[in-house]
Amino acid sequence: MRITDLLKKQGISLGAAPAGKREAIDLLVSLHEKCGNLSDTAAYKEGILAREEMGTTAIGMEVAIPHAKSEAVKAPALTAITVPGGVDYDSPDGAPCKLIFMIAATLDGDVHLEVLARLMQMLMHEDFTAKLKAAKTPDEFLKIIDDQETAQFPDEAKAAPAAKKEGYRVLAVTACPTGIAHTYMAAEALAKAGEQMGITIKVETNGSGGAKNVLTAEEIANCDGIIIAADKSVETARFDGKPVYSTKVADGIHKPEELINKIVNGEAPVFHSDKKAEAAASTDNESFGRKLYKHLMNGVSHMLPFVVAGGIFIAIAFLIDSFAGVPQDGNFGTGTPVSAWFKNIGGAAFNFMLPVLAGFIAMSIADRPGLLVGIVGGALAAAGNTFTNPGAVDAIPSGFLGALLAGFVAGWLLKMLEKACDHLPHALEGIKPILIYPLAGLGIVGVMMCAVNPIMGLINEGMKNAVNYMASQPALLVPVCALLAGMMAIDMGGPFNKAAYVTATALLTGASSDPSDPAFKIMAAVMIGGMVPPIAIALSTTIFRKRWSAEERKNGPVNYIMGLSFITEGAIPYAAGHPLQVIPSCLVGSACAGALSALFGCTLRAPHGGIFVLPTIGNPAMYFLALVIGAVVGMLLLAILKKPVKE
Amino acid sequence: MVSKKVTLVNAQGFHMRPASVFATAMGKYSSSVTIKFNGNEYNAKSLLNIIAACIKCGSEIEIVCSGDDENEALADAVERIESGLGE
Repeated sequence: MRITDLLKKQGISLGAAPAGKREAIDLLVSLHEKCGNLSDTAAYKEGILAREEMGTTAIGMEVAIPHAKSEAVKAPALTAITVPGGVDYDSPDGAPCKLIFMIAATLDGDVHLEVLARLMQMLMHEDFTAKLKAAKTPDEFLKIIDDQETAQFPDEAKAAPAAKKEGYRVLAVTACPTGIAHTYMAAEALAKAGEQMGITIKVETNGSGGAKNVLTAEEIANCDGIIIAADKSVETARFDGKPVYSTKVADGIHKPEELINKIVNGEAPVFHSDKKAEAAASTDNESFGRKLYKHLMNGVSHMLPFVVAGGIFIAIAFLIDSFAGVPQDGNFGTGTPVSAWFKNIGGAAFNFMLPVLAGFIAMSIADRPGLLVGIVGGALAAAGNTFTNPGAVDAIPSGFLGALLAGFVAGWLLKMLEKACDHLPHALEGIKPILIYPLAGLGIVGVMMCAVNPIMGLINEGMKNAVNYMASQPALLVPVCALLAGMMAIDMGGPFNKAAYVTATALLTGASSDPSDPAFKIMAAVMIGGMVPPIAIALSTTIFRKRWSAEERKNGPVNYIMGLSFITEGAIPYAAGHPLQVIPSCLVGSACAGALSALFGCTLRAPHGGIFVLPTIGNPAMYFLALVIGAVVGMLLLAILKKPVKE
Repeated sequence: MVSKKVTLVNAQGFHMRPASVFATAMGKYSSSVTIKFNGNEYNAKSLLNIIAACIKCGSEIEIVCSGDDENEALADAVERIESGLGE
């Protein structure tokens, strides 16, 4: 922290002639106000006066350093005046003050003390104070300080400008559950806002392809603070001791300037990776529902690659067998050596779905110790072990629902266990993570899942039966498909969308190899529901051009590709900009497409991929028709609801 | 010469007000009073010296007194720091 970083030219007034101490303080406070250092001038001044009440801040040698730590201070700063004629400042040596610095410090951090210490170290050199008092212009004043600081702290003077050039003032991490669209949209918005504001910023993206543009330890050490715009957990231990502002990924997209200002103005709280502080901070800042969502999404985003890759492999196996003319019985999909290979490899990936889901939910809640309990809990849910049937022979698995429960309950139980272990003797600290947590955690999750499996098995069976029943009643399957497809469009990647999607993928995992299984129809409806919104918007920007701004029109064509690839997130910028028009339109369009897809008897065996999984779509021509009709309905509704923009 | 190590308990560190209280109090003794911190020695009778040391909360410092009333000075210094210098 260099003095010259804190003291600006506008914060210096030379040759002042205040009548008394009170007037000198007024002048220094007004300089702070002029520099924009304060959010509440009156409150800050009160702090300064309260400090003077306790004893003068004059330190002798004709120098005084009034100071206050206050929430009214936006960022640590200094102002200075010289008073050639001297002003009575109740100095201990009785002499009038001729040089006065005023420190404005924020409540957190030791900046206050460090600045005070450094000023003192410099003021001990009498020739330095003499030169300051004689300075003619603010520029000269600053140069005297800079020279003295460079002479007294030579190492840092060299290091500081170098770091300035190469380092970044603000760092950010963006992440979303799917890691395809939001992550990068937020990153771009932040980078663009930083550029406009003239603030160097580096954004790390934790997308589906792993972390890109990763922040280095050096950059973290040198930055002013870090923005985390994420809907899933990101690695935060590395930010210990830095100001960190956490928010949802949507804020990164919609209000990047506001986030950057939070860091630049020092409004972000200092982050401590110690677990208690973290727990306290997250309870303060996030609602219970949002935390729940974040944990769930951490599990879903880790599970997704397993579902997608495994699902497509299994679909390929079915495709090969249908060409080979293998009888469509229980062995369908393994009728030829090649299809059997695809089916088994895909199945191996599918087998990890529930353990990975539960494992990463628990890890999001209880950190690394949660991984074991979650993974084992998920595996037990998949196998269906119970107390009466510990070997899970012919057991009914509690499946997806059981795995969700395993992830959450195991995570929370382990967190309680961690808390309970706080009271253990310090000597046991080392064996906690390698012995106590795993051993106790395994026991807890084993007991829990064996108790839960029979119940969850019943519920799961009930849900399957309900869907099967609906499937046997064409009148019910269509509304279900319409509902799920509509849910896909409500929040485009949010909880509604994921609820529908997760239901469909769960049914798909439990589906029989019978091609008439309703799960395939539901999956088809859900995918179409996610494909409609971007396409409806893209069509609207092409046909109803007057209803969109130039930028919205320019980005329109990308949404064709996004929509066809089943990346609903492409519609988000439009939905966020005009929620009341875009969301209902997309909702109706998606629901129409979902209902039509079900009516046409379209099926889908892969849980992701849009047109890239065309071979796994049953009745593709009608599926495409349903998609077009849904998109056109959405587009027309949008045209009715949304008024043309004036340009 | 006598000395003792103490830990600073003031949340804000050894800032101006406690430093001025401490420097004034130590000025009454004829012995020399020195603060050893971070490998450096600071004159505890000087407000400027104490603040220049930049001693933060929780830091361990060593008080060294030497002179006729060194025992009284040390006892007073330690007591003041441990009690939080009136904060």
